[in-house]
Amino acid sequence: MLKRLLHTPEGVRDIYNEECERKLMLQDRLHEVLHSYGYRDIETPTFEYFDVFSHDVGTIPSRELYKFFDREGNTLVLRPDITPSIARAVAKYFNDENKTIRLCYEGKTFINNSSYQGRLKECTHMGAEMIGEDNPQADAECIAMVIDCLKKAGLEEFQISIGQVEFFKSIIKDVRMDEETESELKDFISNRNIFGVQNMLSDLEISDNAREALLCLPSLYGPVEVLERAEKLAFNDGTREAVQRLKDIYSILEYYGITRYISFDLSMLSRYNYYTGIFFRGYTFGTGDAVVKGGRYDNLLRHFGKNAPSIGFVVVIDQLLSALARQDISMPPLRSIHKITYTKETQREAIRRAQKMRQEGKAVALCLCPDEGGETL
Amino acid sequence: MRYLTIALTKGRLAKQTLSLLEKTGICCDEMKDPDTRKLIFVNEDLKLKFFLAKGPDVPTYVEYGAADIGVVGKDTIDEEGRKLYEVLDLGFGRCRMCVCGPAKARELLKHQEQIRVATKYPHIAKEYFYNKKHQTVEIIKLNGSIELAPIVGLSEVIVDIVETGSTLKENGLEVLEEICPLSARVVVNRVSMQMESERITKILNDLKSVL
Repeated sequence: MLKRLLHTPEGVRDIYNEECERKLMLQDRLHEVLHSYGYRDIETPTFEYFDVFSHDVGTIPSRELYKFFDREGNTLVLRPDITPSIARAVAKYFNDENKTIRLCYEGKTFINNSSYQGRLKECTHMGAEMIGEDNPQADAECIAMVIDCLKKAGLEEFQISIGQVEFFKSIIKDVRMDEETESELKDFISNRNIFGVQNMLSDLEISDNAREALLCLPSLYGPVEVLERAEKLAFNDGTREAVQRLKDIYSILEYYGITRYISFDLSMLSRYNYYTGIFFRGYTFGTGDAVVKGGRYDNLLRHFGKNAPSIGFVVVIDQLLSALARQDISMPPLRSIHKITYTKETQREAIRRAQKMRQEGKAVALCLCPDEGGETL
Repeated sequence: MRYLTIALTKGRLAKQTLSLLEKTGICCDEMKDPDTRKLIFVNEDLKLKFFLAKGPDVPTYVEYGAADIGVVGKDTIDEEGRKLYEVLDLGFGRCRMCVCGPAKARELLKHQEQIRVATKYPHIAKEYFYNKKHQTVEIIKLNGSIELAPIVGLSEVIVDIVETGSTLKENGLEVLEEICPLSARVVVNRVSMQMESERITKILNDLKSVL
């Protein structure tokens, strides 16, 4: 027997029994929430052509994708993220549709991130996408749905942190810099590294307004008052509109009565380049990373030939489960399994009895060997 | 109230950090006992926990949220490349990351030549040579006494931390190029920054005011 046959490769794992049942139950509950907002289900393939996730679309770096070839030599990719697949599918099947499309999905995603040991390479994502609307109402609905999901999962303490990609983009609109410099600047800002930003700005030709805004950006996070500070820094139409959008969203979230879960973070900039407007993450105790990620991606569908603004989010189920476990949040008890053991002689009676109980909705396991305990016939 | 956990880098950095924290009114007397075998130290009044870890492990603890805050050298942060907020420069432990070698190696850095570089910091060295200088090099990872490599002919140059430069001088080596300045930094877990924003911001502001 080969011992190594028993191992799973690094970054993937088996889930079974209680843990697996908990996971499925959690997924059911979240699914219910998504349906309650009028979202309909969609399933897309686990692997797609490379171009669906390429650099132009703006997902993760190409070297972190699992790639392989089909018989014709096309490059295929295991999906690292489901949103681009949905965008492709919507562009294909709903190209003439002008009404709002609401879709939800659940599936495995794959990222080949070998350098970070301890990170899963296969993750279950569950999410929702609203296609065809660009307004604060849609943004707020999406955030409300996220909060309902986290509450339904049993979390009590969590924060949704909302950022706005347009604010940063409008600040640097007139600054001339190459893509590399821009991504370095983004890294410094999203790592809250003020000295890094200072250093970079000293080499850049940049207006005083933009300089001040960029220097303040790493500290622009916290409760709603942050928006007042951001408003004072806004110096062109783009930045002003970006802040106004966040204020509009906040006032709608007040109608939902969920503002206590909301904070703002204008320093947050995603590594997914397809995000265009607001952009948010959900945080809770017990996990080092966000449990929810989402945002607006108004240009993604254009890449596939349909012009439709969209917003969506994804719950990283594995992260959420580990947060629930570490916070000792109990899920309702699982169905207990009734055990009936029988001998050759009592087999007929045992089967009859088990079938009856199963019809009544009980879980029954039949065993032939009598030493296993449980009810004996 | 939840405990906030602070990871410190074992050695001189930890001592300097503790004395700085003391100035802000955060102390941990348990930690001063040189004979203690405890691994984790608690300040019950402020609900703080402290532990000591090896430098390269501090960013790991902080990334996964096992520690909310960490104090660690900039060299380690760059080398480990973890997802963290790097929020404060504590100013001590100042030194530089440099390319060093014998004076005659200076010429090799000017012409895209494929040379060998010995270092304890392969990521930093690779990033510098490949992305800043656009020079293809062969990187050799060593674990100590890096200065030895060019002397015995293992490599043409080294990438290492330079504090005073006296070790270099004694061995006939010199600083050829400076990569970046280094010092001790405060790093914070991304989730903790959101969930415990108020307490963490207070600690950071207090630290800033005594620097």
